[in-house]
Amino acid sequence: MTARRSEAGWLAWTAPALLVLGALSIYPLLFAVEISLRTAGGYGLDHFRRLAADRLFLVSLGQTLLYTAAALALEFALGLALALLVNREFRLRRLVRAVLLIPMLLPPVVVAVLWRLILNPEFGVLNGTLRGWGLETRGLTWVAAENTALLSVILVDVWQWTPFLFLLLLAGLQGLPVEPFEAAVVDGASRWQVFRRLTLPMLRPVIAIAVLLRGMDLLRVFDQIFILTQGGPGFATETVTLYIYRTAFRFHNFGYAAAMSFVLLAATTTVARAFLRLLRQQPA
Amino acid sequence: MPRSALLLSASLALLTAACSPAPSGPRLTVAINAGVEGEALKQAARDYQPASGVRMEIVELPYSSLFEKAMLDLDSRTGAYDVIMMDDPWFPRLASGEKLIALDPLYEKAGAAGPDPDFIPTSLRLCRDPYPGGRLYGLPYVGNSQFFFYRRDLFERHGLAAPATWDQVLAAARRIAGAEKGVYGYVMRAAPGNAAVADFMPVLWSFGADLLGPDGAPRLDRPEAAEALRFMIELGKWTPPGYVSFNADEVNAHLLQSTAAMSINWPSWISAMDDPSKSRVVGKIAYAPMPGQREPGRAATGNWLLGIPAGSKNVEAAFTFLRWATDRPQMRVAAQRGCPPTRRSVFQDPELVGKFRAFPVQLQSLETARPRPRTPDWNEIENVFGVYVSKANAGSASVGEALERAQAEIAAIQRRARGR
Repeated sequence: MTARRSEAGWLAWTAPALLVLGALSIYPLLFAVEISLRTAGGYGLDHFRRLAADRLFLVSLGQTLLYTAAALALEFALGLALALLVNREFRLRRLVRAVLLIPMLLPPVVVAVLWRLILNPEFGVLNGTLRGWGLETRGLTWVAAENTALLSVILVDVWQWTPFLFLLLLAGLQGLPVEPFEAAVVDGASRWQVFRRLTLPMLRPVIAIAVLLRGMDLLRVFDQIFILTQGGPGFATETVTLYIYRTAFRFHNFGYAAAMSFVLLAATTTVARAFLRLLRQQPA
Repeated sequence: MPRSALLLSASLALLTAACSPAPSGPRLTVAINAGVEGEALKQAARDYQPASGVRMEIVELPYSSLFEKAMLDLDSRTGAYDVIMMDDPWFPRLASGEKLIALDPLYEKAGAAGPDPDFIPTSLRLCRDPYPGGRLYGLPYVGNSQFFFYRRDLFERHGLAAPATWDQVLAAARRIAGAEKGVYGYVMRAAPGNAAVADFMPVLWSFGADLLGPDGAPRLDRPEAAEALRFMIELGKWTPPGYVSFNADEVNAHLLQSTAAMSINWPSWISAMDDPSKSRVVGKIAYAPMPGQREPGRAATGNWLLGIPAGSKNVEAAFTFLRWATDRPQMRVAAQRGCPPTRRSVFQDPELVGKFRAFPVQLQSLETARPRPRTPDWNEIENVFGVYVSKANAGSASVGEALERAQAEIAAIQRRARGR
């Protein structure tokens, strides 16, 4: 009797949370599965078949992966370098650390609007500065040129999100024990040896988390590109998320958009799993 | 068990209490575009409240979310809005499938034959589905259409007349760019999507080409279409670099900063041109109808229409408001506030013509203007077409390649729509 009562009580107390979870997470997810399979005549894989033949989708998927890989590599390299630099005592260290974090604290939309102005070929600060140095900037249109647009949006992402990796990696570095490093110095290890044999392996779990979090975020990038280029010029900076947004809310084809979302989800999961497996292996 | 049931229902009651509306008297909810085009309607809705005793609730939404919200509301008939403001290219999509209230029966019930003949036919036709002679599902409120902006002072200095053809535009652009330091001959926008398509349509039409034929099928495979796109790219050489990412803001920044001599433009930018706090070209911009080429020049319409969602629970009150807002006296007030009218009498009102010097050209443009293709799939077609127009301008696709791909993609969109 008491057991049943407490079970019923448990149900009653958690009901509000379960209801909210069901209404806001589980139901929409199931609904998305349903509409992605709904076709004119019933249910089927029509949307997924169309995806495989949709040139624009495949191009946007390729560009999303390229964007993620390039931005992640640059952000990780720069973030680690900065973290190593700041991970020692010097004057104004706290100030430097705070300043380095500013870009990350700005809303992505604000960052994108700022960079849109900075990169404006005629009135922008960047070309203005280059002209001041006597350089020819006529052909330099950054986000407006097919061959520099993707690079430009990647650099804006690097500017904004390197601090995120810097912050996590610095926290990781500061959490490392001091003794092994002292021992290495006593044994006469070079700086490179210390970095390669001690710092990197010991930092491994932090690197895994940092890169994973940022990587998953990069795969669903939206705001900056939407403001900076809206996917253009032509199709040069279109990402899967932009294409999904357009399909769902501009073309009102929620079924096809849901199918694309599941492909993006599969890509994200695959990349994340592969990455985790890679990191779990022992260093050679 | 009873205790848990009690708790469960209590939590449910709490949840639903937060969602149920408070009881109230007559009330109209109006969804308005947040921007200059919505400003006059917003003020009109406020003015309406004391006069009518109807409580007006104004929901201001940015351009793209207005479409998204309107579409969701119409699809699921939530009744969230009683009046919605629609950009005219959206209309075929929003009106299809009886999602809006047909106005003809309401006119009949009110003992009126229909909208009076003072409405500019171009604008009124936009409210009919199917276009141009079907049932009436809205009333035109903002009489926007494109027209041509050019620098009168520069044209005079170089002995040039207002351009009547695109060839003359190109010649003037060359002349001015060659003689004036720091001034580009022309400025246009070719960011993918709406921007590139809106700036290209008048050129395409004037070359005797079209995006969709009378049968609705794409006809970008005609030689005239290729000629028109080649011409746009040629004109692009006299446009500031980076125009393949330009939107209206950049086009007008160049005009206002006196760094470009001509452009296709919209009425909402007129006031900025003569505003000394924003403009270096006060009084120097002249307005002309759209240039032609093989065919007479025709601008694209960009009217804003008012309609009543089928889910509205206050259809009659909404219809009364619609008629009030689009009636002559109110439209005159709206015009004073900077909203281009959709009535001939207001465009020709001597006091207003004295205040808004572009009015005669605006009226002329609007009366001959054409809508962008009237199809429920316009957003998707425009997107694809815009991508390839933008690519051709960016030089990453040849003219032939861009048109061929656009033609194929548009045909595919239409095939899918038929299968739906």
